[in-house]
Amino acid sequence: MNRRNAIKQLFVVAGGIMIASSCDFTPTATSIQLNHIKLFRADEDLLGQLVEAIIPKSDSPGAKELKLHLFVMKMVDDCASPADQQFFLDGLKLAEKMRDQPIENVQRYLLDLSEKQDVFFKLLKGRTIQGYKNSEYIMKNKLVYELVPGRYNGSVKIEA
Amino acid sequence: MINLNIDSQKNRTYDAIVIGSGISGGWAAKELCEKGLKTLVLERGRDVQHIKDYPTTNMYPWEFEHRNELPYSVQQENPIVNRCYAFHEDSEHFFVKDQEHPYVQQKPFDWIRGYQVGGKSLLWARQTQRWSDFDFEGPARDGFAVDWPIRYSDLTRWYDHVERFAGIAGDKDGLEELPDGEFLPGYPLNIVEKYFKEKIEKQYPGRKVISARCAHLSKPNQIHFDQGRVQCQHRKLCQRGCPFGGYFSSNSSTLPWAQKTGNLTLRPHSVVHSILYDEEKGKAIGVRVIDNESKNEIDFYAKIIFLNAAAINSNLVLLNSKSSRFPAGLGNDSGTLGKYVAFHNYSARISAEFGDYLDYTTDGKNPAGGGYIPRFRNLKRQETDFLRGYAAGFSAYRISHTEQSGIGVDLKNNILNPKLGNWGVGSHMMGETIPKETNFVELDPSLTDQWGIPQLRISVDYDENDRKMKKDYLDTMEEMFTSAGFINIRRNESSQAPGLDIHEMGGVRMGLDPKTSMLNKWNQIHSCPNVFVTDGASMTSTSTQNPSLTYMALTARAVDYAFAELKKGNL
Repeated sequence: MNRRNAIKQLFVVAGGIMIASSCDFTPTATSIQLNHIKLFRADEDLLGQLVEAIIPKSDSPGAKELKLHLFVMKMVDDCASPADQQFFLDGLKLAEKMRDQPIENVQRYLLDLSEKQDVFFKLLKGRTIQGYKNSEYIMKNKLVYELVPGRYNGSVKIEA
Repeated sequence: MINLNIDSQKNRTYDAIVIGSGISGGWAAKELCEKGLKTLVLERGRDVQHIKDYPTTNMYPWEFEHRNELPYSVQQENPIVNRCYAFHEDSEHFFVKDQEHPYVQQKPFDWIRGYQVGGKSLLWARQTQRWSDFDFEGPARDGFAVDWPIRYSDLTRWYDHVERFAGIAGDKDGLEELPDGEFLPGYPLNIVEKYFKEKIEKQYPGRKVISARCAHLSKPNQIHFDQGRVQCQHRKLCQRGCPFGGYFSSNSSTLPWAQKTGNLTLRPHSVVHSILYDEEKGKAIGVRVIDNESKNEIDFYAKIIFLNAAAINSNLVLLNSKSSRFPAGLGNDSGTLGKYVAFHNYSARISAEFGDYLDYTTDGKNPAGGGYIPRFRNLKRQETDFLRGYAAGFSAYRISHTEQSGIGVDLKNNILNPKLGNWGVGSHMMGETIPKETNFVELDPSLTDQWGIPQLRISVDYDENDRKMKKDYLDTMEEMFTSAGFINIRRNESSQAPGLDIHEMGGVRMGLDPKTSMLNKWNQIHSCPNVFVTDGASMTSTSTQNPSLTYMALTARAVDYAFAELKKGNL
């Protein structure tokens, strides 16, 4: 732990969010490179728990297996406004108490946030659903996306 | 500079120069090369070769880093182009970023540009309707702008010509206001669009809902196979460039065709500075270019010049082509250059739902996008307190609803089992605007761009006529929607600036009288007849129809004339 802190501090001294996030040799780095926000592997793991609580594994893969926590990180990093990024980082910090908790507790925590119209939760859930619907697994196996439909029928009778 | 000196003037001399490789420049290139003229096409952007340079064309949604969303920083840095409906992660490389080519907005104007070989023909919405005499006779009948020097009959065979080659899908509807053409089979309306068509045509005589006509190969002919194009596969990912050549673009069609003749020289990275005018010869002799990579100035020479830089940039080129004969811009004896710019009013849409035909849905995708309502307002006579009228799109689709409340397994199951809702229906207006002297572009007296060319100041706005027309569109469509039994009708008055319609036209208008116009009936500059302007800049008025097909026809016609004049020794 001392070593980890020391390395963290070294990066802060070096003044680089970029540097910290682009180094893969340290156990603290996220598994994808981030360009704007600062997160570590521990945050990534917690995020994995949170997205899994939103879309859990059942008879089909859940959010963590589909790596949606990485997608959420990517989208917050690149596509969120600085204000939303801050909401996200603050919310993630508060969710720290859910680390390693059973999924039911995490879900209860998130539902509570949902009732409070929490911005962090809204961002988290929105990006999780977006990532899920647009995942390779879903688009190949569940809600199949056709790159080349090759047809249009404007009057299809729906069989009851 | 050493290279330039070695390059003899002879090596930089061609029979014809075409400025721009977009939809009209591509046509100029094809027609000129086919007639045997050595043709140089100057394109300010990079080369984009068909298929090879469509990097995103076969990507699945999950292969986009941001699932087709653009990063926050890109959106913030590009407020103008970010307002364009087609600007996303899959197509952003075909759009000009705001900072790359700044201009001065004296009034808000969203200037959407595509600087690459093929220009905006890669990105266009592909709707193609002929204009009719209701359009060409409009200014004379209603007393605005100047009379068009041509009528529909002047263009008929040229519409035929370009339609056969480009491939236009449409039905023969037999409408005077929207003449039929050389069509490939049209894409049928869906069940609710058909219902609306029957309802409206019965209840409102004179109003029509037809299948939208579009530049897609619904059933290709040999001429399309010869271009290397095949049937449209209904992907509706056209803005990425189409690997099938399913829709018409310069890249898939006219430019490779011109290349095959052996007469084409395509020069990308060539930012046109001005057209060179020779005072002694009394005509244009060439084009001055800034090489975008070396920043060197290079002159090219030719007997005839086709200006197809896209409407606003064609104005810029002429305004910047100053000589002692033409101190206010090439051919600008009339003082009209840069003025009478107009556009299409796209500032209103309306949407609703329909709770009938719920046992039907659609399957696949319609490249045409649905239905088209040709202009009916003020068509045969003036009947409102505003001039001219509007066409409208109309489309219906089955709403798919996903319950997204809660979290956990229920949420997951809901996402995996979307429910069909009502039909959604929507329409958008495409209004004719009146060209006015007060809507203009001009050179900024001090600001220049990165190529040392003066920046353009754009001063174009809506007027009272546009506002009245917009209200009439919304009221009329609402009434039609109501009478069709549509529910939850929502009027959407967009505050979008002119320009976002991407149908800017005029500034170098055609006309009968050199005192009040720039071009004659052959798109020839009155006072500099070896320069032809055949893109949107040449338009005297805007009609309500999409303009690109008419640019194509005007271009092919002008090349035919230019070639004949050249042979006679008149140019």
